[in-house]
Amino acid sequence: MCSTKTIFTRFYWLATFVLFGLAIATVCTYTPTEATMGPIQKIFYLHLPVAISTFLACLVCFIGSVGYAMKHDARWDRLAASAARVAVILCSVVLLTGMIWGRSAWGQWWTWSPRLTFSLVLWLLYVVYLMVRMSIESPQRRAVISAVYGIIAFLDVPLVYLSVRMLPDIHPGSVSLAPEMRLTLAAWFVPVLMLTAGLIATRYAIETQTDAQTPVDEAAAAAPGRFTWVGEVM
Amino acid sequence: MTTNTQRLGSGLALPLASLRQIAFLVEKDLRIESRSRQTLGLVTVLGVLIVTVLGLGLGAQNAMTAFSATAVLWVAYLFSGVLCFEKTMAVERNDAVLAALLMAPIDRGVIYLAKLASNLVLILAVAAIVTPVGVLFFGFDLTAAPVAFAVVMILSIVGFAAVGTLFSAMVSSSRLQGGLLAMMVFPITLPLVLVSTQLMLLTFRDHVAPGGTGLGVLIAFDLIFLTVSWLVFEWVLEP
Repeated sequence: MCSTKTIFTRFYWLATFVLFGLAIATVCTYTPTEATMGPIQKIFYLHLPVAISTFLACLVCFIGSVGYAMKHDARWDRLAASAARVAVILCSVVLLTGMIWGRSAWGQWWTWSPRLTFSLVLWLLYVVYLMVRMSIESPQRRAVISAVYGIIAFLDVPLVYLSVRMLPDIHPGSVSLAPEMRLTLAAWFVPVLMLTAGLIATRYAIETQTDAQTPVDEAAAAAPGRFTWVGEVM
Repeated sequence: MTTNTQRLGSGLALPLASLRQIAFLVEKDLRIESRSRQTLGLVTVLGVLIVTVLGLGLGAQNAMTAFSATAVLWVAYLFSGVLCFEKTMAVERNDAVLAALLMAPIDRGVIYLAKLASNLVLILAVAAIVTPVGVLFFGFDLTAAPVAFAVVMILSIVGFAAVGTLFSAMVSSSRLQGGLLAMMVFPITLPLVLVSTQLMLLTFRDHVAPGGTGLGVLIAFDLIFLTVSWLVFEWVLEP
């Protein structure tokens, strides 16, 4: 017998993949080909929703970090860790699709244009978040350091955005889309957002299971005792 | 009760007391450094080495542009700075000095500000040696706007030290792998590197005084990370 949660999970992933199939069918058959760039422009329908989803995953990581800082509850830490992992995956997709598109549009794989640089710095910030987590054995200490880094990394994002704007830009500032193109973009946004939420939830479940399997005495041995200032007790 | 009444009754006494505590702690750090001389010498030599290696790698025979000279100086500041943060925090770890410091009736925000001030003194001392070396080696002419250069660099170094001091306290407390501090500090400080190099380019190539978004980003970075670091320092500090 399957639990309601399992049925919901299966339905959720089935719906996500069906919507992805529909989005691919839309872009292949319904969406017009852009006049200047040709078929390669269609990578945009994946690129933009994934970029927006990356920011959302970073935001969830920040919320998890702030939640842990305020509540000291391991669930917030797991949420932040899961979101950071998904953010890195999505940001990698943004970088790859951006590079493929750039190669076709500008003739080179990489340019130090503001948005490409911004994506790279964002990717680095959250890859380091994952590296920091991997480097710390004590679960309690890992959660504290990750939460502080998660907060600081997210606060750094707008500053990175403002600073990269000082670089010379060849990226399009704003694009005007035909109604069919807008519909295709909407058709891609839904499954990409569902995929993002689904990946974060799945990773969260894995983190919860891993934590539950960590023997309590091992976790306690790895965590150094909290130092208590005598004045606080008195 | 008396302590609480004193605290509530003397609003001005508290900042003054905190300033005295900061001055006392900074004096302690600098006295240790003046006697042991284990940080400043090492860090300065590293800075000069980096400038030399990068200069040779980039082709030292040609005079550098403002952009590349600033970038070279930044690499030297970043690596020297990280080593400086590691060393100054390691001093506190030796013989469980930090545990004793945490037991003292001092607010931990004060400990942060004192550590930041000590680090700033050391990094600015290193910058005061490494920068003229870079200028001398590469024929980089600062005469057009020395004040603008100093303002941009000092604002950037304050932000860098704010983040570095916090992270050094976090990293030094655990059995963490080496190099983690550099890995944490570098991506966070990238806006500083980017903005200051761009501002130097504007100042020395285009002869435009630094201002606008660039200077705003530097000031915002300093304010945001000074405040956040000061707030969370108490939480991350462990003996």
